[in-house]
Amino acid sequence: MKKIIFAVVIMAAAFGFYMQSKVITVKGSDTMVIVAQRWAEKYMSEKSGITIQVTGGGSGTGIAALINGTTDICNASRPMKPSEREKLKQRFNTLGVEVKVAKDGLSVYLNEVNQVKELSLQQIKDIYTGKVTNWKEVGGKDSRIIVYGRENSSGTYVYFKDNVLNGADYTATMQSLPGTAAVVNAVVKDKNAIGFGGAAYAKGIKFTAVKKDANSPAFLPTEENIKNGNYPIARYLYLYLRNKPTGEIKEYVDWILSKEGQEIVSKVGYFPVK
Amino acid sequence: MKKNFGIWKMRRFTRLFLLILLFAGVQIFAQEDTTSTNVEAKVEEIKGALDGLNESYLETKTIVDALKKIKISGYVHAQYQSAQRDGAASYAGGNFGAGIHNRYTVRRGRLKVAYDNDITQFVLQIDATEKGLGLKDAYAMFKEPWMRTFGLKAGIFDRPFGFEISYSSSSRESPERTRLFQTLFPGERDLGASLEISQPEGDFSFVNFKGGFFAGNGVNPEVDNQKDFIGRLGFSFPFYEENLGIDFGLSTYIGKVKRADGKTIYTVNSASLASASTSELWADRKYFGFDLQVYYSLPVLGGFTLRSEVIGGDQAGSSANSSTSPTSLLTGDIYQRNFLGYYLMYVQNIGEQNQFVAKYDVYDPNSDVAGNEVGAVAAARLGSGDIKYSTLGLGLVHYWDDNIKFVFYYDIVKNETSKNLSGFTEDLKDNVFTLRMQYKF
Repeated sequence: MKKIIFAVVIMAAAFGFYMQSKVITVKGSDTMVIVAQRWAEKYMSEKSGITIQVTGGGSGTGIAALINGTTDICNASRPMKPSEREKLKQRFNTLGVEVKVAKDGLSVYLNEVNQVKELSLQQIKDIYTGKVTNWKEVGGKDSRIIVYGRENSSGTYVYFKDNVLNGADYTATMQSLPGTAAVVNAVVKDKNAIGFGGAAYAKGIKFTAVKKDANSPAFLPTEENIKNGNYPIARYLYLYLRNKPTGEIKEYVDWILSKEGQEIVSKVGYFPVK
Repeated sequence: MKKNFGIWKMRRFTRLFLLILLFAGVQIFAQEDTTSTNVEAKVEEIKGALDGLNESYLETKTIVDALKKIKISGYVHAQYQSAQRDGAASYAGGNFGAGIHNRYTVRRGRLKVAYDNDITQFVLQIDATEKGLGLKDAYAMFKEPWMRTFGLKAGIFDRPFGFEISYSSSSRESPERTRLFQTLFPGERDLGASLEISQPEGDFSFVNFKGGFFAGNGVNPEVDNQKDFIGRLGFSFPFYEENLGIDFGLSTYIGKVKRADGKTIYTVNSASLASASTSELWADRKYFGFDLQVYYSLPVLGGFTLRSEVIGGDQAGSSANSSTSPTSLLTGDIYQRNFLGYYLMYVQNIGEQNQFVAKYDVYDPNSDVAGNEVGAVAAARLGSGDIKYSTLGLGLVHYWDDNIKFVFYYDIVKNETSKNLSGFTEDLKDNVFTLRMQYKF
């Protein structure tokens, strides 16, 4: 009898430990790492028994992890491609669930001393495809443009390529850096540099105002311009899940979309969807 | 005098002190100048080194970018199988040898090398098992660069018919394709050229087409001047909000099989009458197919898929005892049959690592006759090639990690019986259990 009681106690303890140590893994976009970490910290401080592990690596890496089954939630700064949906379908028989959690103005960074104040989408494309290589060609000083960008696993890299370069290849001279923070850091140090990334990383650099075309007015990536659609390279930030969320994951996603979760979006420097 | 001497001494001392100061100043300035020169030289040196590194980086990047276009992948299917009896005939990886009812096999040992240059592609795939080395794929493909919608593919590759043919064996949840496909499309591949139309994104991305002309013999040399048309028009409707996907397609195969000199084409479509014969040079090989795949996600359990295909048409078989498509020039008579086959498959994900699989397939090689009619009248020329089969497969798939998965699968095979056909008067003992380990990279 004692043995049975002992076994039951052990099993109950193990079950209790299992119930208490629920881990949610979140992987993906470097653009979203800060906001995702803030969400996780706040949520874990409010709810005991949940551990949320947040890692970056880029949207492509996060989506691959979702397809491989090594993450519960994927952060992505671009929509999933049909080919990625196909892979998810093949392995998990699901198309994936998309949740829009924030809005971002994909910003073009310049060093603070750079005289250039605005660029058209065409000029940005010309710089990033290597057609324009000197600042004087776009209204700046006579000096070589140093182009910084992201690695190809980044959602920002893909979004910028699809929506600004219209699918054209980046110039071979672009220096690919791991993470938006690294791009910002490089632009801070180099007065001839140009970079791109999320609006939330604007420390020590300046944004260039962006024009849709040469004759359009230029707009900065402010909340108002992004919300009313004036800023031409605004995008959503997403969470992707394999299936409709249930249990703890559903509670967490609902919390991100709640007033509290969306306040963190604003604090970090992005724009809430609700 | 002493005072003057003192003043003189004082002046000398002051001069000496000024001289020392001057000298020291010159030294300090000279040192500062040297330091500044050194720093500038150092900066130049570092700048040069950085430029060198940058050049080296760009050179390496060019090489890495080129190497990234080469993609090597592969998988191995190592398995243990057990049949109900020695020497069982089976479509679960081939017949068992005489006196053998269990076996280890490497069912597939694939190595695929692809060079993907975005709009052009080269692919070569080989299959190495204990049975030998075989060629699976060898093709070139290119897409027009403007819309990236129209592509041309030529070489040896999967026939563009239905769903199961092009669904990779490494992804498929059941160990083998259905009897229907193994009979109609042995080896799945053929030699030919096809047009592929698929808009990557946009208003027409829901529809795609693959179709072309093929030799009609599988991975074997061309044996006649007739080319077979094979094509599939596919549709895909994803409903992302509902996490529901519905894909379907219509396929056709229009081809001919050449009769050998002095041989006959028999149409075996009647159980009681002598089969009609003709001395036409060509026998028809015509298939029409419909395939459907539905994907949906269930709460807690996960996603599931329901797949089905139906194929019917005229098959030109090589003998009374086989309706398998010929893979070389026939030397005997040809047997023309109307056939019908279908399968239903259900795959349910259970959490992240497990799947439950149920598959039911039917293949009736001769839909004009049934049961005891087979073998009743000798002149009707009906044989074991006209026997209908159904297979119920039940299985579990466990994904150990990204590379390894295990498949536990049991095939329950039922054959049509005929008291008039020796060897088929009762259901054959040919159920097969398969335990497979797959490594994929």
